Amino acid sequence: MTAASVGLRNTRSKEHYNRREVLAGYLFISPWIVGFVIFTVISMTWSLGLSFTHYDLASNTATAAGIDNYKLIFGDPKVLTSLVNTFVYTIMAVPLELAFAMVLALLLNGMARGTGIFRTIFYLPKMTPHVATASVFLLLLNGNVGAVNQFLGLFGINGPQWLTDPHWVKPSIVMMTLWGAAGSMVILLAGLQNVPRELYEAAQVDGASRWQQFWRLTLPMISPTVFFLVIVNTIAALQVFDQAYLLFYRDANESAPDAALFFGVYLFQQAFQQFNFGLAAAMAWLLFVIILIITLIQIKIGNRLVFYGGGGND
Amino acid sequence: MGLKQIGGVVAGLSVGAALVACGPNANQPSSGTSAHNQFSKSVSGQLKIYGFNPSDEVGKSRSDYTAAQLRGVKITQDTSSFDTQKFAAQAAAGQVPGLIYADRTEIATLADKKLIMPLDQCYATWGVTPTQRFYPSVIKDVSYRGQIYGVPEFFQAEAIIADKRVLQKSGVTLAQLDTSKPDQLLTAAKKMTAVSGGKPTRIGFVPDMPGSAAIWLAVFGGGTVDQLGRPTLNEPQNVKALTWLKQLSDAQGGYAKDKSLLDSMDVFGAKNQYVKDQVGAQVWAQWYVNVLSDYSKDVDIAAVPIKTLDGKTLAMAGGSAYAIPTKSPNPSAACKWAIELTSPTAWQKAGQARQQTVAKAHSINTGLFTGSPVADQANRSQYVKSSGNADFDQVIDTYYKILPDNRPMGSSAVGQSVSDNLNNAVIVALSGSKSPQQALDDAQAAALRAWGQSSAGKNG
Repeated sequence: MTAASVGLRNTRSKEHYNRREVLAGYLFISPWIVGFVIFTVISMTWSLGLSFTHYDLASNTATAAGIDNYKLIFGDPKVLTSLVNTFVYTIMAVPLELAFAMVLALLLNGMARGTGIFRTIFYLPKMTPHVATASVFLLLLNGNVGAVNQFLGLFGINGPQWLTDPHWVKPSIVMMTLWGAAGSMVILLAGLQNVPRELYEAAQVDGASRWQQFWRLTLPMISPTVFFLVIVNTIAALQVFDQAYLLFYRDANESAPDAALFFGVYLFQQAFQQFNFGLAAAMAWLLFVIILIITLIQIKIGNRLVFYGGGGND
Repeated sequence: MGLKQIGGVVAGLSVGAALVACGPNANQPSSGTSAHNQFSKSVSGQLKIYGFNPSDEVGKSRSDYTAAQLRGVKITQDTSSFDTQKFAAQAAAGQVPGLIYADRTEIATLADKKLIMPLDQCYATWGVTPTQRFYPSVIKDVSYRGQIYGVPEFFQAEAIIADKRVLQKSGVTLAQLDTSKPDQLLTAAKKMTAVSGGKPTRIGFVPDMPGSAAIWLAVFGGGTVDQLGRPTLNEPQNVKALTWLKQLSDAQGGYAKDKSLLDSMDVFGAKNQYVKDQVGAQVWAQWYVNVLSDYSKDVDIAAVPIKTLDGKTLAMAGGSAYAIPTKSPNPSAACKWAIELTSPTAWQKAGQARQQTVAKAHSINTGLFTGSPVADQANRSQYVKSSGNADFDQVIDTYYKILPDNRPMGSSAVGQSVSDNLNNAVIVALSGSKSPQQALDDAQAAALRAWGQSSAGKNG
């Protein structure tokens, strides 16, 4: 037996072993793959096809429409209004949610005792159904008798009409979003707890202040976590629906100012109030493309700013 | 990505598109407008009803009576409120309920999409003349392109309920709450409004915006749609109406502040706005009299009708209707249920049940406003007697008196869109974001875009 043939047999054995491992791996993730194919790949492909048709719900048939639905989107001023509202909301909500979650996570991370209890308490709002949260916020944000304005009144501030003044509509939805910031907080807390203690000790020996420790040590070390949250929170914000719908569109006899018309809400109205499924599918694809572009830009910028410790930041 | 991969993606998408274009049920009949009668007097099988919730005595008594008339039919009820999203999913899956109960504004839209069937033959099968059993305006609101698509119920018209204590304190008379004289009404509203710390503590006159916007357009001689259902939101009378509403709103503190005060009111409770004198007068549908009857000792009220600028009384109201999905598995049973549930006999049972509840609670019977003149009058003469409270008797009498002056809200294939866009225009104009003209122009443009998407719009 030559050395070459032994080497070949070893390689084959390794390949065989790897293939079995790979197969086992695929078997383990197969439930997810099946779900992904059925509920994401096929659904998205179907929806893309639908966006080029006029879909008749009564007969469950679709007739080719070419790019009519896309033309309608670009000719509808409400689409632009809803897109601008969505972008403005995203620009307001993502940094604020991140900052708020960061403050909470830093507070929890610095606690010597009772972290578990406070983590649970802070996470409770995230577990509360959005409908219940919206009901509470309708009371809290009432311009005349709401708790928020009564609190501001203690400092002599005449609070705004949060839910009825178009200028304050988006800030009030952002406030409701902050209520659920605990999801980001938990992820940031995990990131903070992974920063090696020795680094802080070394920084303290070098005389670094708390702010310097946070800015030059903590933030770079958790920057991959922050980057992940920026991306997922941006995607979630661009798809905002629940908060706006529950605060402003819950009652068919009521109405919302233009400032509360978000892209997701308008898409819903087209699909399930007007039954324009082809148009709604086209709108969904427009949003998909927008999210894709924004995410790619974020990744491009993020690769320059994020510190991956072991050298993944090139 | 290599060429092979790109080719695979394109092929996959093409298959998807082809699947969509062909559709799984492409050969199925698309409409329920076939000439033969789908309805039979002989009923059997199963009937699933979606959207109707017989939770109170009025619903339960009629439901029990109707179920007894459909002996031999197994009835199941999905008592959650009708939701277009859920119904769309059911329709796409080909598993629609036998009968639905929806808001009347939905009926023409569902008909336009061929999701429900015309019911002219349903009425004929049971020998019912729709315009005799129901108010003509109510039938118009469930009609689409000359056919009737719904069996309606309830017509609780709107009128003005005034707080006499506030009127007296402000030196305003009931006669001044005359919508046919908008300037006079505006002056009265200003007098009754109270402000503290820059915020209103009492609103003189609440026109119920944007919920009753369509009624105010009618007051000024306008309307939301034409005879075909095409939106007419920016016609000059509508602009006049919205301009006046803006003046009224500004004179009472502005829309945002007024809305916040309205949202904070205990509308259904013991500290409601009439108990606390937080309004001078407010537009209300008839059902609210029933709410106030629980607090009859604490309120001092009177009612006046809403009138058009030429002084004619105006009675308008939304409501609900039964409709039968095009692919209903049991249209005959569905038809019989709807016809029986809205029959004078069923309403008689409801009147009896309501009277028992009222007697037990030592409350006031404020009447049932059924959508059927026959049932309304029978119920009134049998159960609605003098309550011993002159104020309530006057209010109840006012709501009954306006019924003959009923007018349709307007039926349209894009009813929900028209309503949404009108409501939006009202808010935008009242909050000062746009002028009334601009707001209504934009609303009209948006409603027309929706109209262009509808079958009615495409077919002229």
